Order: sequence, then structure tokens, then C-alpha cells
Amino acid sequence: MATTSEDPVESVKKEPGSCQYDKQTLVAVLQFLRKHNLKGTESLLKEEAKVSEDDLKTEEDKKTEVSQALAAVYKSDDDPSLFEDLYQDLKTFIDSCLDVHKVELSTILYPVFVHMYLELVYNGHQWNASQFYSRFWQDQDEHRHEDLARLTSVRQKEHMVGSDNQLLESFKTSKFILRMSRDSYTHLKRHLQEKRLSSLLTIVQDHLFIDVFDGVPRTQQQIQASGGGLTGEVDRDANKAKVLYGLLREPDVQIALDDDEEGGDGDEKPKKKKSKKDPLLMKKSKNDPNAPAPTRIPLPELKDQDHRDRALGFREAKKRVKLDHNHLPSICFYTFVNSFHGVTCVDVSDDSSLMAAGFSDGNLRVWSLTPQKLRSMKGVDDLDIIDKEADDVMERIFDDRTATDFKSLSGHKGAVYSASISPDRAYLLSASEDGTVRLWSLQIWSNLVCYKGHNFPVWDVRFSPHGYYFASASHDRTARVWATDHHQPVRIFAGHLSDVDCCRFHPNSNYVATGSSDNSVRLWDMLNGSCVRVMTGHKSAVHCLEFSPDGKFLASGGADSQVLIWDLATGTMVAQLLAHTSTVYDLCFSREGTMLASGGLDDSIRVWDMQKIMAEQDTEADPSIPSNITINDSASLLLGSYFTKNTTVLGLHFTRRNLLLACGPFVAPS
Amino acid sequence: MASDKESRVGSVLPAESVKVIAESVGVSGLSDEASSFLSEDISYRLKLIIQEAEKLRRHSKRKRLTCSDFDTALQMKNIEPVYGISNKDGHIPFRHASGGGREIYFTEEKELDLHSVLGDSTPKIPVDVSLKAHWLCIDGIQPSLPENPPPASKELQKQEILDTSLKQTTAQNRLGHKRPHQDSSGKHKHNHHKHKDLVKLKNLATHELSVEQQYYYKEITESCVGPDEQKRSEALQSLQQDPGLHQMLPRFVAFAAEGVKINVVQNNLALLIYLMRMVKSLLDNQTIYLDKYLHDLLPAVTTCVVSRQLCLRPDMDNHWALRDFAARLVAQICRNYSNNTNNVQARITKKFSKAIQSEKVALSTQYGALAGLGELGTEVVKSSLLPYICILGDRLKYVNEGSALNSIDKIAAEHIKKQLIKYLPPVLKSFHNSTESVEEFNVAYGYLGPFLYSMFLQKEKGLTSAGGLQAVATPARSTLQLSQRPAQILIQQPAPSTPGTPHQTSFLTGTPSFQRNPSISSMTTPSTPTGVSGAQKFVIVSQGRSSTSISSAPIASNSLVKVVGPSQPQGPTTAGAQKIVLIQGASAVNSEDGAATSNNQARTSVLTSVTTPSSISGKETL
Repeated sequence: MATTSEDPVESVKKEPGSCQYDKQTLVAVLQFLRKHNLKGTESLLKEEAKVSEDDLKTEEDKKTEVSQALAAVYKSDDDPSLFEDLYQDLKTFIDSCLDVHKVELSTILYPVFVHMYLELVYNGHQWNASQFYSRFWQDQDEHRHEDLARLTSVRQKEHMVGSDNQLLESFKTSKFILRMSRDSYTHLKRHLQEKRLSSLLTIVQDHLFIDVFDGVPRTQQQIQASGGGLTGEVDRDANKAKVLYGLLREPDVQIALDDDEEGGDGDEKPKKKKSKKDPLLMKKSKNDPNAPAPTRIPLPELKDQDHRDRALGFREAKKRVKLDHNHLPSICFYTFVNSFHGVTCVDVSDDSSLMAAGFSDGNLRVWSLTPQKLRSMKGVDDLDIIDKEADDVMERIFDDRTATDFKSLSGHKGAVYSASISPDRAYLLSASEDGTVRLWSLQIWSNLVCYKGHNFPVWDVRFSPHGYYFASASHDRTARVWATDHHQPVRIFAGHLSDVDCCRFHPNSNYVATGSSDNSVRLWDMLNGSCVRVMTGHKSAVHCLEFSPDGKFLASGGADSQVLIWDLATGTMVAQLLAHTSTVYDLCFSREGTMLASGGLDDSIRVWDMQKIMAEQDTEADPSIPSNITINDSASLLLGSYFTKNTTVLGLHFTRRNLLLACGPFVAPS
Repeated sequence: MASDKESRVGSVLPAESVKVIAESVGVSGLSDEASSFLSEDISYRLKLIIQEAEKLRRHSKRKRLTCSDFDTALQMKNIEPVYGISNKDGHIPFRHASGGGREIYFTEEKELDLHSVLGDSTPKIPVDVSLKAHWLCIDGIQPSLPENPPPASKELQKQEILDTSLKQTTAQNRLGHKRPHQDSSGKHKHNHHKHKDLVKLKNLATHELSVEQQYYYKEITESCVGPDEQKRSEALQSLQQDPGLHQMLPRFVAFAAEGVKINVVQNNLALLIYLMRMVKSLLDNQTIYLDKYLHDLLPAVTTCVVSRQLCLRPDMDNHWALRDFAARLVAQICRNYSNNTNNVQARITKKFSKAIQSEKVALSTQYGALAGLGELGTEVVKSSLLPYICILGDRLKYVNEGSALNSIDKIAAEHIKKQLIKYLPPVLKSFHNSTESVEEFNVAYGYLGPFLYSMFLQKEKGLTSAGGLQAVATPARSTLQLSQRPAQILIQQPAPSTPGTPHQTSFLTGTPSFQRNPSISSMTTPSTPTGVSGAQKFVIVSQGRSSTSISSAPIASNSLVKVVGPSQPQGPTTAGAQKIVLIQGASAVNSEDGAATSNNQARTSVLTSVTTPSSISGKETL
């Protein structure tokens, strides 16, 4: 049998043309032999045919691959070696363009590079793929290198199947968005058509979405500032919807204020003067045209306690220090010592009386920052005896014997990643790696509700400024809004292509902003759950967000160590604050919005001049033409840097009097 | 670097490793194909998991990825995590167990004897997390607290000295645009700066100390030379560790330098020791760079090494310890601050060596020089001491055999011998071997030949002769905790003429030499004497006393150490509330006073709303 199969093999082998056929036959024969365990014949045949084990393997692999081939986006019959030339050609074309177009056109290189690589990998040209990659990867922008590193881990077609690789998925499913001026676009189109670069054209048509605008091409700075998103930029229609960024009318607390007036006439005068200057302290008697109707989103009724709180807040606010570039804030730093890397998040209540910290062991701790110690409510029997009509009933319900400086809360079975104290200081929310959000009572110091909905770690949770609602952000790529009395979310915001890392409520509670690992910031409308703003510009994950007190601006900070300021009315970037050297973990506006503080992993707190940013903002420019937008990145915006001794800055909080509180764990240098 | 990154980007687990791992779990004979396929696939999966773990790290706000991050990432991917990997001691090899459809790798745990566990004292509970509050910044200015990073890092101070044009940029840096530690970037900046304006006059630095700093200065200096040992050690510790001394450094250095000048004249050993300890603390402070002040420090310290007389009774007092201590300080300065520009070490060595060679200087001086050279290391001993041993030997011979019986010199000679024992043997060892005889030593080292020979032999044989020599050879490095402290503070003055009247002005008028130092422009008349009747006081006025007056014997009337108070001067042991006040040219010290207080007032309104948490405790310190 061996000899019969041997003869034709040998005869055919001399003809190079039919080599392919010959091998396949040989493989088939060898497989047959192996199947029937005819080892002696098999080895004899192999020896005589001079077929090595390796040859066989690749042959087999290829065969299975061919049979496996799925109808997919990357299937193509192009010669793999052509890709390098094509890409090189595109590069030379862009280089030869006029300088004005060069920058805009070069944005196309990155998506083309990625898709070419993926096409090579998908079609099994592994060697060409790595060759192609190693030749051109250094041409890409610095901030893309991290994504590219992830991309190179994809080396085989099998890796591209399935949905466990976010980066791949987003490249496969959504088009990469580029914006360029009409001139540049026509330039590119002409080139591609003239040279009949069909495969390049297919890539551009299939995977890219080029948003063309009329106007002069953008400058390098403009392009660099807005680039960075996982799937490129934002097309012009995304930010068309109107955002009602105005503040809601404050409820009238005038009566309470007068009652609490302590000082005589001497005190009153300067106070009145000050209140006129400070726009935030003025009663919003006229309706702000940009403010949503107070009933747009049903908000909880104010209780007596809230009224009292607000009155107190106003009184405090009158003693507020005015901050500007001549008057820098004082910073009181709360350091967690002996934490052994355990502290993961910190939150300070609005009135600066409580501080909550989450730990990686799943515990939470609440400290009192005032001499007033933390007490728990009396037992049921004791509460029964209390005279409910008494004026100080809120005082009487607490048990003085339980007073301590701090209280611990345990319940989560994974690390706590975020904590948020409710505006009335009665509740605390915590988000954990175990996929749950828990609501804790700060009066009886125990868990009230466990909200299950996210299946993956919840990265952030935040109360609405009016209480009742809260938002959570999770690894499952959604952000959800909950009401404290519902066990299921009332809104699910889906649209981010990667983890949602942080979320914040707009001061008027009508919008929620989210930041994500897909390097974008989105703004969602609470009313209908739609995404009203998409903002790109971060080069890495966004870790913190903060609305300015007047609701007009949004500040975001991230792992790319940038802090960006966005104008919500247009969805454009106003300022780019660069000074941090590592991830920015928290941001905070001063109470009147003139200053922004940022802190993070580089053990520093930076203070930025928000007043200047607002003054220098160009409000005349038409936001629909991206080349008109100016981005303020002047170094003079930085008012001060304050370094700690190896203490990561996790939380920042301006008290009502504009004292900056900062907190973080001390990390012993190893 | 590019290639470095490239390799990192495309890295794949080697196929060999896959084979080894496969064999370890019982799969042998894995083909090359399979292993290379596996290695690619495993690398890909690993990278995916690490990517997830990285997210967890970022949200835990840490700088480092931990094993638990990886475990959690596995959990997120619905993969059973590898248990036991976070176990610190010896997680390899794992033990494998399976059953119920689950496979577990775990680490072996020892069986514990319950009795021994119960019997043992309970281990210490780890310190609990606590909150600690401090001011990171007050009205935009970062105060120099131990909790805050030093305002100017040592590196920066060093640069400042080497390049004077850096001054302005440093000020800018301190304002906070660059981290003070990032000197590389700072360097670029200042280079750039230098090119831009080559002729830029250095701004006059105004040294204004805040009220707090003045108070601190007063407290520290008083405690350093005061009678209370506890307070002194606290003050010294503060000098050694406080990061914010940069501003006050000129004053502290001047205090020490002037103090030495005066007290050398007075032969006040105790005070000299205290001042040296102060210098030692400053030298030990990691946050300050003393290069700028060496011209003051070095003469002072060197004086304490080689001065002819440091105490009133050279035959009885242990001034040797001070010389040793100061010699170590000199060595420390040389180690830390000697460079090609100032050449401190060479100059010091030369001075000491000269003292050894000279036949006129006092033996105590030679002792000091010996100590100084010895502390500088064997190389220095070899080159600068050994050649002159003969001269020293002749000197000792003269003392020992000479007719003039001088007990002081005899003691000094003894000490010099001890010192030789301490420093010479390691050097001799490199020169000689045990076959050499006494004669050769005699030829080489003259009078000291036999002595050195015996010493050398002992060293060679490794004889640890009980007591005797060995004990001497390793003299305890005294920390200068003087046992005879109280008695030494007050060296019996030739009875101050007017012990009862604390007239401070009297010794201002009595010293015409004050005006010789023009650099101190504003002569502050010492403020109201803090003297309370019944309390003893030292008042040391250290205004520009020129060193020339040291040679002339001090006259009692303008002595700078005054015992104030009605009680007897020789009764220091009754140490009620003794005080030593050093008055220095503290100009401009008060100028900021008013401003600072007004600042404080303005600030209080802000600060009142916050109080620090009362639970301020914990072992971890900043």
C-alpha cells in the first residue's frame, strides 16, 4: 500500500506547478495512515517524501482555517505584501500635501493602520501583520501606543472572534469618526480615486466615517485636543440637542434667614453688599432662560430639615472667602495613616461635617470632622417614650452613649470603589466590586438597601444634589440612575464603548455626565435617557467629573493626567489644563466657581484660575465649525501646585467658606 | 528605548516555557506547533486579563498592580482565580486537588499546635487606620511642616550653590509650577534661562523670619545650650528632622560658629560640646544642604578639633571626647561636601598634617589633628600621617623622657598613643608583614617603632588580648553625653565683678572689638533682660567677636558668659531655672511681625469652621 501511494507522489513532485495538489494528497494519505495506526508505513512515507512534521502542521492549519472562514468584515483576497506599500503610499501622499491639509489628513493614518493590521491578521498573514506593525507603529501618536499594545496582542484570527476584547469590538462594530474640512476631504478622495487604490478605498468606506465641514482646516493643536477617543471624534450631529444647563430656582429661605440673623446692624451692611456681588447668593427671582422647568424631573419635596440646612448654608456662605488669583485658598489635608493601600475612595458631605471613606476590604468608615461626635438612634423602646412634639426631637432621638469619632460599616464582599453622602446627611451610598450598590443609614448605622443590577464591579456612585436619585457607573459599560425607593434602575444609559468610570449629576439634577475608559465624556438627559453630548479629547480613561456651580461648565480629569473644561451649551472644549504628571482622581470647584482644584496620583493638588478661563472664552465663534474653536491651554491658568509627602490625593472638597479640604492615604515609600 | 518598547509591545510567552509548564501538569511531549500556538494564545488571554486587572488598580487608586487585582480580574471573566498566590511565603510549589468538578491549586498549610498557640502571647494588633489633619497650604503658601515636603529639596539647594542665577527660577519652582524634586526638568529650565539673560543681577535675598520661626529659633537655641538634657535632645532631634529649616539655616550656623569662637576663649567645654552636637544635628538633617555655610562651620568645628585648650583643667577634663567628636564631624563634612571646587578635604588634610609635623604646637592640638586625619580614612592616614610618625615620635619621646615633668603633656602623650592604636593598624598591615623585625620598625618610625611593632604584631596574630589593649583600641564612640554636665556648664569664672547686677549694656560698652565686623549692620541692643530674680542666667553675646581677641587672655569685665542672678556663681548644681541666652544679630526678625499677625486674624474666619479630628494618632508618620 505504501508503495502504491508512493509512486504518483514522487512523479508529481517534480512538477512545481502541481506542488500544492501533491501536498494535499500527501497529507490526506498520511492522515489515513495515522488513523489506522500504520506507524511504520507512515514514517517510511514521510521519510521518502521528505515531508517534515512542521510542513504538515502548517498545511493542516491552513486547511482548517480555510474551512473555518467566516463571512466577516475583514475578509479580503488582497496580496498581504501590498499593504505595506499601500500604507507607505498614503503616508507619502499626505506628506506631499499642502501644510494646511497635512495635519487633518494625517488623522486618517491611525484608523487605516489599525484596520489594515486587523485585515492582515484576519486573513492569516500573521507574519506580514507583525512586519507591518513593527514598521509603522511608531508613527502613531504617543497616546495611541497603549491601545496599540492591546492591538498587538491580537495575533490570530481566533482572537478576533468573540466579544471579550473591547478594543477590537469597538473597531469592528462602529466606524471611526474623523472630521475634516471639505478641501482636505476632496484632496483625499481625488487621490484615492486617481490611483485606484481600491483596497484603501474599501477600508475608508467600510470603517471610517468622515464628517466634512465647511471652513478652514483645523490646526494641529485643535486636532490633537479633540482627538483621542476610542472611535475617533464626534460627528457634528451628536451635540446638536439643547442642554438646559441653568440652575433651578432656589426655594425661598428668606424667612429662615432673617430669623437666624445674629449680628446687629454693623454686621448686616457688609453682608448685603457681598450678597449683591455674589451671583450665587442672589435669589434667582427671574427665570433663567436656560434653566429647565422645575417640574421637568420630579424632585423630592423639601423637608423642614432641608430648609434649615439651606438657611445655614446661606449664612455660612456669607462668611465665605472670595477666591481669585490674588487670594489663593488654604488647604487642610486629612491624611489616612496606616491604611496600607486600603483606602479607595473618599467623600465629604456638603456641609463638611462628615467624611466617608471606602476600603479595599469592603468596609466603609465615616468620620466626623466637627467636634460633634457620631451617634446612633435610640432603640425602639426608647424612641417610644420621646415626646414627639418637643422642639429638639431630632436631638433627643440619638443615644449619647454611642458617640464615637468614627463609625464602621461592613457589608460589601469586594472592594468599595465609591461612596457618596446624601445632601441631607442621612444616607450613604457605596459602590463595590461585588456589583452592588448599598444604601446605608447614617442614623442607625446599618445597611438599608442593596441595589443589584450591575453584574460587574460598580466604579462610581453619586447622589443627586437634590437627594432621592442617584447614578451609578459600572464595568458593564452602562451608567444607571436609581431612585432610592426603587430596587431597579429608573434609567439605563448605554452607549459607552468601554467601562463607565465615573458619573456626576448636573446641579439641576436633569442631566447626568459620565466618563469612560473609551476616552469620552457623555451627558445624558434624565427625562428621556438620551445622550445629548459626546465629548472627546481625553487620551485615556476619564476618572473624575465635576460640574461648575453655575451648571455651565463641566470639568473632567483622567488617567492621561489632563484636566479638560467643557462648555455644556455647545459641547466644545474650552480649556486644557496640563500640569499633572499622573492620573487625576478628583476635581472640585470653589463655591462661587472662580477656582478649580484638582488632585491625583502624582501627590499634588493644583489650583486653576476658572475666572480667567471664563473671561477668555470666545463665545462668538460658531461651534459647528470645529476650526473656529479656540482652546485655552495657557500655563498662567495654573495658580498653584501643592505637593504632599507621598500622599495620593483622593478627595477634594471646598467648604461653604471656601476652605479646601483634601484627603488621601499616605503611601509608605517602599 | 524604542526597541525596548517594541519588544515589550509584541512580547509573547516563549514556547519553551509553555512546554515546561505543560510538563509540570503532566502533559509531556508537547509538539513545537502546539506549544507555539498555545504560547500565542496564552499571551493573548493573559494580556486581556491584565488589562482588566489594570482597571481595578486604577480604581483602587494605587500605583502598583497587586495579586488581588489579578484575582478579581479573573473573577470578572468568570474564571476561577488562583488561590493562595497572595500568600507571601513560598507560594511555589502549589498543591493540586480536584474533586466535584473543580480543580484547585493551593499552598500547603502547616498543622498548628493549639496549645502553643494558646500559650503564646497574643501578637500585636496592627495599628488601625486613622485620620491626621495638617495644613497643606495657608492662603496659597505652603508652610514648612514635617508633614509637608521640604520647600527646597537638597538637590535644588545644591544646584543653587553651584549656579547663582538659579535663584529666581528656584523661587518660581517653589511657587509650584514644577515639583521641587524634578531637578532634571528644572535644570533644563534654568539652562534655558541662563542663556536668555547672561547679565542678570542676583536679587538681594531678604531674610525675614516669621514670628513662629523667631520663636522656634529662640526655643531651639536656648534648649541646645541650656541645662535641660531632655529639652536639648528634643531640640537636637528637631534640628535633625525638621524639613523646614532652610530659611533659618544662616542663623543657626552663625549661632554655632559664634558660640564656638566665644566659648573657646572661655574654655567652656560643655558649651562647646553642646554646640558641636547642634552642628551634628544640622549635618544629619537630610533636607538641608550646608555647602553655603561651610566657611562658618568648618573653622568652628576644626577649632574644636585642634584648639590648644578647650577646657579649664586640661589635666582632668575629658576634652578628648570633644576632639574625637568634632573630628568625626569634620570627616562627615568632607564626605558630604567636598568637591573639586572647594577642595575641602585636601585643605583640611593639609592643615592637620601640618599640625602633626610642627614641633611647636601643643600636644593636644596634635592629638586633634591625629583624630581628624584618622577619621578621614586609611588613605589619608597613609599619605598624610604615616610619613610624619617619626616627628611625632620625637615629640613623645621628649615628653616621656624629658626632665620637665608636665602631667598635662604626659596625659596628652598617652591619648595620642591610644589614638595611634585606633587608626594605624589597618594601615600598617598594608605596608608590613609579620616577618619584619623591631629594627625595621625602629628605622621607619623612630621612637614609636617598638610601640608600633608590638601593636602591629598583636593585630597580626589577631590577639584579642583581654581588657588592656583591646579595650583601648576600640574606644567607645562617645555620644558626648557628659556625665559631669552640671559642673561643666559653669566654669568657675574669675568671679564676675558685679554678680548681682544684670547690666547687659555693660559688656556692650566694654568691647570695642564689636565694630570690627561691618557685615552685621544693625546692632540690636538686646531686648529687655529676661532675667527673673532668683533664676540663674547665662548671657552670651555673640556679636562679631573677632578671632584675634582669642589669643589675648579674656578679661573678666567683658566676659561673654555671664552668670546673672543673685545666687552664687559656683552653685550651678542647684539648677533652678537656669537659662543661657544667646543674643544674636537678629535683624529684620521683627519686621514681619505685624503683617503676620494681621494675616492670622484674617485667616481665623476661614479656619473656624473646621476642626481637626480628635483621633490623631498612629504609628505611621509622614
